[in-house]
Order: sequence, then C-alpha cells, then structure tokens
Amino acid sequence: MELTDRDRAIYEWQIWVNGLGDSGQKKLKNSTALVTRVGGLGGPLAQSLAAAGLGKLILAHGGNTKHSDLNRQILQTHDQLGKPRIESCRRRLVELNPQIEIETCGENVTEENVGGLVSGADLVFDCAPLFEERLLLNRECVRQQKPLVDAAMFEMEGQLTTIIPGRTPCLACLYPEIPPGWKREFPVIGAVSATMANLAALEGLKLLAGFGELLTNTLLIFDARSMDFRKIAIQHRPDCPVCGSCRPPSIQEPS
Amino acid sequence: MTALQAFHDSQRPLTSIFQVKITVQLLGQARQLSPTERVILNVEEGASVDELVPHLLTGAPDSLHLILSERSNEAQQLRRSVMAIRNNETIEPSARDLLRDGDEVSLLPPMSGG
Repeated sequence: MELTDRDRAIYEWQIWVNGLGDSGQKKLKNSTALVTRVGGLGGPLAQSLAAAGLGKLILAHGGNTKHSDLNRQILQTHDQLGKPRIESCRRRLVELNPQIEIETCGENVTEENVGGLVSGADLVFDCAPLFEERLLLNRECVRQQKPLVDAAMFEMEGQLTTIIPGRTPCLACLYPEIPPGWKREFPVIGAVSATMANLAALEGLKLLAGFGELLTNTLLIFDARSMDFRKIAIQHRPDCPVCGSCRPPSIQEPS
Repeated sequence: MTALQAFHDSQRPLTSIFQVKITVQLLGQARQLSPTERVILNVEEGASVDELVPHLLTGAPDSLHLILSERSNEAQQLRRSVMAIRNNETIEPSARDLLRDGDEVSLLPPMSGG
C-alpha cells in the first residue's frame, strides 16, 4: 500500500528523520508485528509502534486487569479492572491510532497458538514475564526464520537484543536452561519497563524501515540506578539445541 | 564495608604465590540478593570464572547460591544460564588464564520481567 496524504500529514515529523523518509514510512505501513504480553513492556511498546504507523499489530495477552497491573501496564485503566486486559489494549490503541489494523488474542503464548501467531508477523517482540514463554517464542521464531526483538527487565535494570535467525545467537544461546529462582512477580517501576519498551520499539522500527544499526550479536544492558548503558558482544552457543542447524556456514563448527 | 566483603577479605586464599585482584559485579537478581553490588576477590593467577564462584559465594545466602551456581562433578561452578562478562564481552566461565589483575567481571543472571 502507498502512503496517503493523510499518512504524510500524521507522520510528517518522523518522515523527516534521516534514513526513515517516505520509503521507510511505507515499509512500516506494510508491516505486521506480533507483541506477546502487552503489559509493562509490551504495552508501551505497542503504543509506540501504533503511534509510528505500523500497519498491523497482533497482540497476545491473557488474564484480567488487576490493581497491581496499573503502575506499569499503561494500556490498562481503572475502569477496566476485572475485565480482559486485551480489550483495554485494543481500545487504547484504537483511540491512539484508528488507522492501524489490530488483531488480538486473549491468551498468552502457548505450544498450541505460537505457530499461528508468529506466522502472521514480519517481526516479533518478546515481552513475556516467564522464561517458558520466551524460550517457546524463540524456538518458533528460529523455526519460521522470523526476527525477534527480546526485551526484559528486573528491578532497575533492563536488557535488549535483536535476534535474526541464522545471523545472530538466539535466546537459547544466551539462556540454555530455564533459570531457577525466577518468580512471576518481580520488582518493577513502570518507567524502567517503559524505557526498555521504547528501546525495543526503536529496534523494531529500524529493522522494518531499514535504517540505523541494530543490536544484532549484541546485548544492551541498561542500569537505571547509574544511567549506564553497556553493549555486550554475544556469541552463538556451540551446543545450542535451537539454532545450531540454522547458523551460517562461516560460523559453523568444523565437522 | 559490607559484611559479605569483610568476610571475603578475611578469607583470602594463601595457597598461591601469585594472586590477582578481580572485582566481581553482580547484576539483575543476584544484585538484589547480595548485600553488596561488587565483591573484590584475591584469587590464584590464571583462575577461571568458575573458580571464582566458591570464593564469591562463601557466606552468601542460599538464594544467591541457587541463582549463580550449580555443581558439576562435585565442583561448584557458574550456572550455565548466567552470563560472565569481561570488558564488554562474554567469556567462557571454564576458561583459565583469561582474567588479569584488576579486571572486573560482571555476572548477569537472565531476566524476564515484562
């Protein structure tokens, strides 16, 4: 689809960004992103993607809105308490940008739904609070050769990397096991999760529009206490059971 | 000086002629569970990150042991899911002779908060 005059009016100020331009905006308009869990990370992330004019968002998020969501899940509202979170996500994003298409799934990622969710997207954002979901999504993205932006946080720290199957380490290279001791409830200030969300959104927008440098083969670590950003070089794990077979010849282990 | 650091200072190994000073920075959950963000260890020259772990965790709470370490052939070593970072690059925890006097090693357990 081509950009309309209305598109140009709405996105004029970002079309001025070097490297984005008309052609980048058109790519965004013709792109689909999957955001899994639309909470403290996924909520502000989806908001930034919607505001930037991504053509279609697929959102997967289960459960009903609780009081404890409201310090960070900015797509949830007090009048939505006790109702499905995904309804509030859709409503708030449609209010923000009625031009984009939004497809919703009122479930978190599962073995049953992951294939269909990933297949409909050009790019996947992983914002789940459980490693089981993250590793499942990673496995499916590697299988379908879909890029995955993985953002995560804990307390006053966050981390971010962009995974492109065959070109970068996958999530299982970084975390070959589900770590013990991780709890479903974790310390979080909404501004920290929203910071990581917007950095992840930027990664996705650059990837889809085709400009800037990506956090490929790199893990960004953010420390909100000291305001330090570190970029860490990361490598394939030679024995990775998920992406070992899709590594490019140049980095295959000698047989 | 924190209790954990004071304990480490009193337990410096005396078996090696050549020792190096390594600062270990704890990140993520490990940072929250430790009384101190950084621990200075004096260890034998050539020690691997795995070999730092018993020194690091002496006197540490069980929750920190669980997140950072695992046992392999009775030896305590860095858990496979924990990233060891030196000079903004990940390093293999079992590799010896990588650490130099004055190095800082960051240990990053995985995080999944969303």
